[in-house]
Amino acid sequence: MNSTRRAFLKGVSAGVLCISLSQLGFDLTEAKAYAKELKIKNCRAVTSVCPFCAVCCQVIAYERNGELIATEGDPDFPINEGSLCAKGASLWSMYTNKHRPTKPMYRAPYSDKWVEKDWDWTPDRIAHLVKEARDKDLILKNEKGQTVNRLESVFWMGTSHASNEECAAIHQAMKGLGVVSIDHQARV
Amino acid sequence: MPKSFLIDTTRCTACRGCQMACKDWHNLPAIETKQTGTHQNPPDLNPCNYKLVRFHEHKTADGRVMWNFFPDQCRHCIHPVCKDVADMAVPGAIIQDEATGAILCTEKSAQLSPEDAQAVIEACPYNIPRLDPVTKMLTKCDMCFDRVSNGLLPMCVKSCPTGTMLFGERSEILAEAKKRLAKIKKTFPKAFLADQRDVNVIFLLAEEKEHYYEYAAF
Repeated sequence: MNSTRRAFLKGVSAGVLCISLSQLGFDLTEAKAYAKELKIKNCRAVTSVCPFCAVCCQVIAYERNGELIATEGDPDFPINEGSLCAKGASLWSMYTNKHRPTKPMYRAPYSDKWVEKDWDWTPDRIAHLVKEARDKDLILKNEKGQTVNRLESVFWMGTSHASNEECAAIHQAMKGLGVVSIDHQARV
Repeated sequence: MPKSFLIDTTRCTACRGCQMACKDWHNLPAIETKQTGTHQNPPDLNPCNYKLVRFHEHKTADGRVMWNFFPDQCRHCIHPVCKDVADMAVPGAIIQDEATGAILCTEKSAQLSPEDAQAVIEACPYNIPRLDPVTKMLTKCDMCFDRVSNGLLPMCVKSCPTGTMLFGERSEILAEAKKRLAKIKKTFPKAFLADQRDVNVIFLLAEEKEHYYEYAAF
């Protein structure tokens, strides 16, 4: 890009060239013809939460006729005050990305294929597997004969998006099953 | 009085929120890039990236590594050379909005011959405009003209989590820029406001422009 033209213009830009031409009055009114219409006009604004990290920045999603038009940080939320990082700022791209799965994907044991599954099928399947694992593996007593009621073949991976209340409920549910390995997505 | 940006690079953490926010607001598609050994990705401005955080590192005399971030974008010059060059070929291809000071590439920029478009690109002292091979239009930052005209902040400024970017009336931005410069000079004596008299996007740089990007300042 080191052309002589640029070097030349650098030299004169503050001088004759720009003053003479921009003052000839090439119409400034044309700016008015440039798109001034806000693309989120007449959109419904819905607050949502960025799905990435544990900060849980709040976002405003603009929707029109069921289509997501734009997303931006929510200035009323005290944590991010309207700002977003690269991940949060890319929610519209993520949502509209054709590679984003919109249904649960299931790969059966030993299979090399992903299959689309129903939203109802998935929790049922998980519940059955948890029940199966617990029935099979629950350790009632340790070597000394003390009651432990421990389930070591299941672990719980938490999410940054669980609130304190949800975490408490999850924790109690897992402890109820005897699960001792509980961790959090943000530590991984 | 036009609108101005302050980009205080000493606050930038290179999260690239501005880069993504800009891309999303303008509905620009993803482009194919490669890992080139730097976080600067894509490697340069292009018709799908009007805003790009540039990375530059160097060693100081006492052996410390300085890693500088430069959120590059159109400076919305007060006397835009690109407009002058474009006007010689197709008047109205590039326009300057009176109220905001925004420099805008219009649909007429598609009427520029490839040579004229190239001349406009090379005229820019900051190496900003890019030619869209599909629409044949010149592309660059438009100051989020629709947002600013409707009283909203440009998307990059809105998104910035660290207070690197500010936007407002030129007089207020200049005052804030001078205040910040005075403070930063205590730590970085070479700090300066890049081309503050000529542009509406004022970069506060902590070191010489060479330690940021070749075209960081005039």
